[in-house]
Amino acid sequence: MNYHERAAREIHEHQPSQTVTPIMRKLVADSAAMLARGRDDARTRAEAARQHAIDHLDDLHEQVRKQFEARGIGYHRAETASAAVRQVRSLLGNAKRVAKSKTMVGEEVGLTHALRSAGIDVLETDIGEYIVDIEGRGPSHITAPALHLNRARIREMLARTGADLPDDDPTRLSQHIRDVVGDYFRDCDAAITGANAVVASSGRLMIVENEGNVSLGVSHPRLHIVITGLEKVVADEARALAVLEVLAPSATAQPLTSFSHFVADPLPGQERHVIFVDHGRSRILRDARYRDILKCIRCGACMNACPVYRAAGGLSYGSPYMGPIGAVVSPLLWRDGRYADLPYASSLCGRCTEVCPAGIPLHRMLLDLRADAVSRGQVAGRAERAAWRAWALGFGGATRARAISALGRIGLRNAGRALRARGSDRDPRLLPEVSPERDPANLDPVTPPKETAQPPLPGSNVIGIDEVMPDDPLELFRQRAGALGVPVLGRVEPRKGDREVRAEAAVASTGSVLLVGDAAARRPLLAARRVVVRVDHRSVVGYPGDLAPWLGDGDALILTGASRTADIEKQLVRGIHGSEELVVVLE
Amino acid sequence: MARIALFDPCYLSTLRPNDAMCAKHVLEALGDDVTLIDGRCCGQPAYNSGFRDEARSVGRGLLRDAQPFAAIVTTSGSCTTMVQHYLPGLFPGERSLGAQSIANRFHEFVSYVAQHPNVGQLGLRLRGTVAYHDPCHFRRELKATPLALELLGRVEGLEVRRLTYEAECCGFGGSFSVKLPEISVAMMTAKLGDIAETGARVLVSPDFSCLAHLDAGARGMGMELEAWTFPELLSRALE
Repeated sequence: MNYHERAAREIHEHQPSQTVTPIMRKLVADSAAMLARGRDDARTRAEAARQHAIDHLDDLHEQVRKQFEARGIGYHRAETASAAVRQVRSLLGNAKRVAKSKTMVGEEVGLTHALRSAGIDVLETDIGEYIVDIEGRGPSHITAPALHLNRARIREMLARTGADLPDDDPTRLSQHIRDVVGDYFRDCDAAITGANAVVASSGRLMIVENEGNVSLGVSHPRLHIVITGLEKVVADEARALAVLEVLAPSATAQPLTSFSHFVADPLPGQERHVIFVDHGRSRILRDARYRDILKCIRCGACMNACPVYRAAGGLSYGSPYMGPIGAVVSPLLWRDGRYADLPYASSLCGRCTEVCPAGIPLHRMLLDLRADAVSRGQVAGRAERAAWRAWALGFGGATRARAISALGRIGLRNAGRALRARGSDRDPRLLPEVSPERDPANLDPVTPPKETAQPPLPGSNVIGIDEVMPDDPLELFRQRAGALGVPVLGRVEPRKGDREVRAEAAVASTGSVLLVGDAAARRPLLAARRVVVRVDHRSVVGYPGDLAPWLGDGDALILTGASRTADIEKQLVRGIHGSEELVVVLE
Repeated sequence: MARIALFDPCYLSTLRPNDAMCAKHVLEALGDDVTLIDGRCCGQPAYNSGFRDEARSVGRGLLRDAQPFAAIVTTSGSCTTMVQHYLPGLFPGERSLGAQSIANRFHEFVSYVAQHPNVGQLGLRLRGTVAYHDPCHFRRELKATPLALELLGRVEGLEVRRLTYEAECCGFGGSFSVKLPEISVAMMTAKLGDIAETGARVLVSPDFSCLAHLDAGARGMGMELEAWTFPELLSRALE
């Protein structure tokens, strides 16, 4: 099936727009508002960080290799998708139970399926991935895999695994999956995660997540395998933070995800390996027209904003990568023509380019890819090719073009009379009309004016976006943390089960706290009933990017609110893995 | 008195044969001396479909006709975008620079009128209410939305109602509307719903392609809607 057939079927059978459009309209508005609250030049800095990375890819990989060696992290490269799978299998050795968190490159190389075929037990530990894994049709969005399913359908999916849930409340559904995942982690041999960036100067892995399943993965099993794209390196911490500043706002309209990990040395008795997958990226890097696509940070903002994605849903693309990024990157990664028609899945409205935080000219690439597909003979049959040649001949001369125009008018006036009566159910559009008649009465509106030209969109349930931002950084920190459900107090009564840690720094604009070294140890944080973070008021910085000098050299963790998920109908559920209660004591 | 050319795009001259006269009327009211370029196409239909040789050979004819003029006013944001942003790239090396120098002299009609030194003397007046549709190329490639709103604001007696989801595409997209009709119709239906919300029955837009698409859908769905180009609206406002 081609894109058109898949999209037509999807629209006919599931009407994805009904679920997706309202969610995305709100998300895009919230994202813009969240970015507007950040640093003025955040997008420029993120783009520059990614540009620097792809311009110095070989040098940065050399640095990563050396840093990994010093830290005892395995450095691996895979030229192809199948090589990546082979390397994962070989690193797994005789591991039989694998906890996998969300990785787009994992989807790209078909990792879960390949490992299961080899008899390895793989659990998708991200809530959205867990759900779509049961459904078996794959993710429909890169950051919200189960976006196409409503709560009732999700409850049905869970029932297939034997879960007997009394209702379909998103909190209940999310907590059920959390418990299954939590049990699995108690007894598994290895974890596989992705990475959002690999920092060349220090050899640390930046990984972001909301639920805490990555926290479990990097800290519990004795083997941690990271699979990521070759392009995902950045030069240093400052540049990694520049990416971080735009990633969550663009993806989900959050200031930052709950957990932003900087993962360093393996724990005692633990092994850590990173596989960098090429799968055509080196080739893309050499093509001046498309190399900028490697600046992508996989936030999904382009699909959130895309009207075609909203109308036909993510599954229509038939690729692990959907939306405008999918329409560009799929035909570039898989050159056999299977995705050659995806670049046509766009009205070229340019909204993707407008919202891209990495400054990728997506709609221009779609145009170039169309021309490639035509010149390679991957799209457009003989009839269409002949039609365009005839068109070029007709419009090549003014006299001919005028004659065509006149014939067109005659044709439309006559055919119009015959066909104008009605459109079909599936396509209501009539043929265009030539110089339709005007009724002066139509200048009078049928209803009085609305009260506002642009009705305000509802505020976000995630971030408290409607509030006015105070100028004082401490006040701002209090407000932002409060919006995330984190009280900022003068003191707290100690309680049994508290994990009390001291923050290295805190971030006013996002309400985050930075933990480094022992304070960042994930196991005790996840085991605590309540996490109490002491923050020195002199260590509150403005933006996440200002944390660079405080990150130290080992493990670091930026906490932004308690663990949470919004994988079910984008409804916020707090307290997934790890405590729901996070308290800051400002000193 | 500036001597300018008015480019009447192919689809507009087919479906609204009077539009060029309306545009000429407005430009002459501004004091310009107008020569018509018609029977030409910017090449966009083929370009967007991936047929670049065909787009180049057709677009070349337009550039050749436009060459003698210091300014070429185009009654379409989409065609202006094609000429300025894409057409020159179809020619190799030096010839691309030559094409770009001609392309830079193209002006989109609404922006041209809004920024014309004599625009204040037009005395535009039209009683009524219209909804405004902001086309994607006009908005994002030419970034001219404020100019359209400013120009509409100059029409005395005219109430302009904006759409809630103004930044969303109407679903036309040229060959997109034919190749992926189900998606195109879904987008169009959403846009028509947004237009209906305004209560206005006349829709005005700087791009006729969106208007033709929305008009075809509105008639098919039995929705009362007249789709007006800026030249039509402004020439009426001059009377």
